[in-house]
Order: sequence, then structure tokens, then C-alpha cells
Amino acid sequence: MKFRGNAKEVASAVAAASKVVNAHTTMPILGNVLLTARQGRVSVRATDLELTLENAFNAEISEEGQCTVPARLFSGYLANLPAATLEMTGTASRATLKCERSNYEFFALPAEEYPPLPEGTSSQEFRVDAKAFRDAANAVTFAASSEEARGPVLMGTLLELEGASLTMVATDGYRLARYQLALTEPVKDAGRLIVPARALGEVVRVASAGTIEAKVLGGQANQLVFNTGDVKVIARLIDGQYPNYQQVIPKEFDKRVIASTEKLLASLRRAEVVAGDRASMVKLAMDGTSLVITASSDTAGTAYEEIDVERTGDPLTIAFNARYLVEILNHVGSDTVAMSFQGALNPGAIRPATGELAERQLYILMPLRQ
Amino acid sequence: MILHADLDAFYAAVAVRDDPGLRGVPLAVAGSSRRAVVLTASYEARPFGVRSAMPLYQARARCPKLVVVTPDFTRYREASSAVFAILRSHAQAVQGLSLDEAFCDLGELGLEDGLERGRRIKTAVRETVGLSISIGVAANKMVAKIASDEGKPDGLVGVPVGEEAAYLADKPVARLWGIGPKTQVRLNARGIERIGQLAQLDDEQIYRLLGRFGRELRELARGIDGRTVSEDDDVRSISSEETFEHDIVTIDELLPIVRTQAGELAQRLHDRGLRAYTVGVKVKLSDFSVVGRQTSLAQPTDDLRVINAAASFCLRRAAPSKPVRLIGVRVASLVALQARQIGLFS
Repeated sequence: MKFRGNAKEVASAVAAASKVVNAHTTMPILGNVLLTARQGRVSVRATDLELTLENAFNAEISEEGQCTVPARLFSGYLANLPAATLEMTGTASRATLKCERSNYEFFALPAEEYPPLPEGTSSQEFRVDAKAFRDAANAVTFAASSEEARGPVLMGTLLELEGASLTMVATDGYRLARYQLALTEPVKDAGRLIVPARALGEVVRVASAGTIEAKVLGGQANQLVFNTGDVKVIARLIDGQYPNYQQVIPKEFDKRVIASTEKLLASLRRAEVVAGDRASMVKLAMDGTSLVITASSDTAGTAYEEIDVERTGDPLTIAFNARYLVEILNHVGSDTVAMSFQGALNPGAIRPATGELAERQLYILMPLRQ
Repeated sequence: MILHADLDAFYAAVAVRDDPGLRGVPLAVAGSSRRAVVLTASYEARPFGVRSAMPLYQARARCPKLVVVTPDFTRYREASSAVFAILRSHAQAVQGLSLDEAFCDLGELGLEDGLERGRRIKTAVRETVGLSISIGVAANKMVAKIASDEGKPDGLVGVPVGEEAAYLADKPVARLWGIGPKTQVRLNARGIERIGQLAQLDDEQIYRLLGRFGRELRELARGIDGRTVSEDDDVRSISSEETFEHDIVTIDELLPIVRTQAGELAQRLHDRGLRAYTVGVKVKLSDFSVVGRQTSLAQPTDDLRVINAAASFCLRRAAPSKPVRLIGVRVASLVALQARQIGLFS
């Protein structure tokens, strides 16, 4: 393998892919990045077997081929190069790098040892607008579980494909986020994919414009590749049964309040200060045209907040974890928020009150039992 | 005066109490899996060499007539709560160490009055809970614990104030708190076998032998222990640990012990009205190195199943690379909670 390219472009591609390299890997080859030079493009791939990142840059290729270089050495070297032309020659055991008057040689490992991407594709694929996907992921992934002991399924985000729509769902077993968006074109087969949080975070980071093409890879259909621009994000899908989330979304509510998202959020943030620790409880009392938020703690004192709301249905007092409410309201995409309830021990629903998101974005939150 | 109370062969005794047909037979409480270990052996089983934490097949080999019953944590918790209630009604402060063991602060009291208190506790425990308990009474915690141990089973031993050092003098050094097998070997190598010998070392000798902890150990050897009985009002964490007589090799053998400890912690959290956000395990390996793992929960818990699942997860993640000599489960990030988060899927 031999190519000449812009040192800055090489550096940024290698740095972006190397993020996934685990410094404490027990397989030496996973400490390396794989470079593949072919048809005027050089791709840089790194993986920790759960997540694979691939970036690419243009180069003047004099010999097509592959080479693996230790990621930390390589990116450390590249980060300090001037904006000049870099010439790289790679073999199974050596990578030689020339830039201006510097000349380096790194020990390499044979490219054949690098874990290959899964062969073959399944028919499960979809295309979606990158910005719409990013908005959805941002609005949903925060609700996933971070409890490792409960297993990986709830730590991932469900992507449910049906017809021309993608439904994204995340839940930690106490709150649930659901967001529906349109695909660029209908999918051939309906499907449910559970994607790790880290992979979606990476997609959100790199997909700023254009279209994301996603495709399930491998004979076991256990990897999902997101292609966007010059970047590939390949995630090992989480194996397991996602809970039946539709079952826990109530069909009907008989009480509803509509409030200013900003005012409600500000009140809750202040009340949370008093409610204290992570189990902070706030009580929401809805009566007349007002919503009263109260909190108290033995050590801090008491909080009382009153805001004007539009309200239908019987009065209700219900208790929630303040942190959960604040996190949800932080993600509601409209100026006014609608909260619907049944009783004090039944789930509450929170959604944008107006705008086109009102039907597409939904949060379900379980109350606290006092 | 401090009183140390320790139920005798607790799990086995509960089984015998509820099934008098088991009285007098060598009995072991153990799980039902192929890899089960003995959680408690009755006094009748102990002469055969049956010990807690021993693999069940080994216990059966040593004692072919061994009767094995499966643990019933609900009944253990009930019995434990009843015993603690009795202890509280006889003491100013009670500090639980586990389901079957506690220190009690009896306040300013002479030895005779302390022993009388012990007799009343023993009677109440026998009559209302149906179990036998061993009790030690002394001026401080360590001596009280050694005394209750000495009287087992069904013992009542008091150590007169001022005679602590004499009481301890001819006991093996390993009985002292803080002297593990390594220290014991080091002391024995210098010919120090008895607590009394340790008590007589001068500052320089003790420092050379045991370093900066030496003086503290010598104080204990002289029967001096300033620790108070704390009600754990302001506890940061609660843990339950067990050291095995024989190292345990497989995770499958450790899991039932973790479950027992999780049950005990669930009870102690429940008793204090606390819930924990963090669950962890501590594993001491045969080379005395210690591995710890912990995990955080989204909602604080006092639920046995949740603590057990989290602790088992931590144990698997700790993946002990050598035989295990001690395992402990710990809960931390404790909160007092008035409200409980309802689950979506439960």
C-alpha cells in the first residue's frame, strides 16, 4: 500500500476512528487502525468489536492495499504534523511515513489479522434524513437505562421500522421516550433493532446533514451499519427481547394540563433544589387554573411554586421524581407542554402541546408512591 | 457494659425449631443445586467435620447421615427481627452485625447486673422465638465477642471489669480482631502464640513486628477497646461478609452465599427505613488480594431480588481468578425514602 495525502486530512480521519480504540485491549490488533487504499480513497477503520468506526479521505494512491498501524502512536504522530503532504507506505510488518524532512517507521501487524466486517447483508435496510434522525435520537436516548446489572436490552434504544416510519423508543423501566419520524422511503420488511447508546451517540455526532443509509449486516444479522457522508458507524446490535412498550402507553387520559414548557421547567428546577438528593420528590397539585408544585426535605426546607395552566378533568395531586420530570421537559420540542393523567398511581404522559411534534413525540413517566 | 449476642447455628436452629423431627440429627442448611455449599451446620454435624461454606458433596462424604434442608430466608428474617426486638428492649443501643449477631450497649452496669440482663435475653429468645443464643458480657466489644464465642452453644460468659487482659492472656493470638492468617504466621514464627505474649511486647518490639498497627493490636491484646456500640444512624454503607474455612473455587458455589448476604442486607435496610443506590461485592482471594466491583441502580432499593441480581452481576464481573477465601456484599449510597418509584413494566 502506498499513497500521498494531505497530512491534516489523514490526521482528522485517524483521530475520528481511533476514538473507539480501547487502550486496555487484550487483542493487540484491536489497538491498531486499519487503512485501506483503493480507487483514490483511503479508509481508516477502528473497532472494539462492539462498535466500529470508519472514516475516509482522498489520496493519490500509487499502490492499492491495506496496512494496520498502532492507533495511539499514529494519531500522536499525525496530530503534530504541519499542513503538508504525507507519504505513507505500508507492508504487513512496517508503516513508513514521510512528511517534509521527517521520516518515521512504525511496527505494523498484518492486515489479514484485522477483524473483518460481517459478510453479506440482510434485506433490512432504511434511509432517513440525517437531521431528523439526530433530533429523534437526542430526544429519546437519554431515557435509556444505565443500570448494567439489569442487562443490556434496556441500555439500548429500540428502532422499530414499519412502512415509511421509524419509531425510536428508550426506557429505563420507570420512564419511556417514544419518537416517530418518516423514512425517506418505505422499508421492504418491518423490523425491530436494539442499538447500543454509544453507537447512536456516534451517529448523532457525525450525521449533520444529508441522508443516513442504514443496513443490517452479517449472516447472523447482528450488526447495523450507518453510512453518512464519509463516515461509517457499525454497531453490534443488542440481542434480546425489548419489552412491549405499547402496552404501557395508556390509551386514554381523563385529566390534562397545558403549561408553558419554560415556566414549568424553571419551577421544577428550583423545587428540585429543595427536594434534594437523587430520589427527589415533587408533588404536582392541579386544581382550577393553576398547577402547584411543592417539595420539602428535613434538611433544606420547603418549596412552593404556582403556575397558570389550561386544565381539563378532575383535580389531581400526583408525585414524581423531580429529576425525571426535568430531564423529560428538557427534551420536549415545543413552547407549551401537555401533561395527561389518569390517577395518582397511573402513568402520566408528556408531549408537546402544539406543532407538528405533538403527535410524534411522547414521554411516559411513572409516579412515586408515597 | 457491652453485651455480644450471637444465635447458635442460626439457620439450622430455625429448621429444627420448625420441624422437631430434625432434633439431634446432623443437619446442614444448603441450596439444592449440584454445586451447593453448606450455609450452616448444626452442632450435631460439626464433629463430622461439616463446616459452613463447604461444598455439599464434601459435607455428605464426611457425614453420610447428614440431613440437608434448603434455606428459608423469610423465616430467618422473621426470627431475626423478633430477636432484635428483644435485644432493643434490654439495651440502650443495639448494633446489628448480621441477621444473627449484634452488640448491645447496656449502659453503666456491674457485671452481675449485665449477666442478669443476658439471662433474661436468653430466656426471652428461647420462649418467644424458640432459639438458643450465646451471650458474652464485658467492658468492651472485643472482649464481649470473644466471651460469647467461648460459651457457644447456649452460653453466657461474663468477664469482670479489670480482668480483661488476664481473660485474654492464654487465648491464641488469632482470636484478636485484626489478626489475619498472615499476621498470625508472622507472630507464631517469633514464638508468639498467645494473646498474653503480644500484650507484653514493648513499643520497639511491637513496631518491628507489626509496623504502625502494632500498638493498636497490643491495646486489644491488653483488653482495651474503645469502640462504642453505634446504632448506625448515619451509616454510609452496610455490608455482610463471610470468610470461609476452605477456599471456594467456583462462582456457582459463591452465588448462594451472595444470595444469603443480599437477604441479610435487604433486611437491615428495611429495618432502618433505608434504600441503596449502589450494590457491590468484595472478594478476597487465596493470595489475600482483594477484588471489588460495584454497580449503580437507577432507583434505590431494599429488595432482596434486586440486591441479589446486582451483587451476582458484580461477582461475575469480578471473575475471581483464584480460589476465594472471603466474600462480602455491600450496599451504599443510602437514602431514607418516603416515596417509592413505581415501575412501568411491573
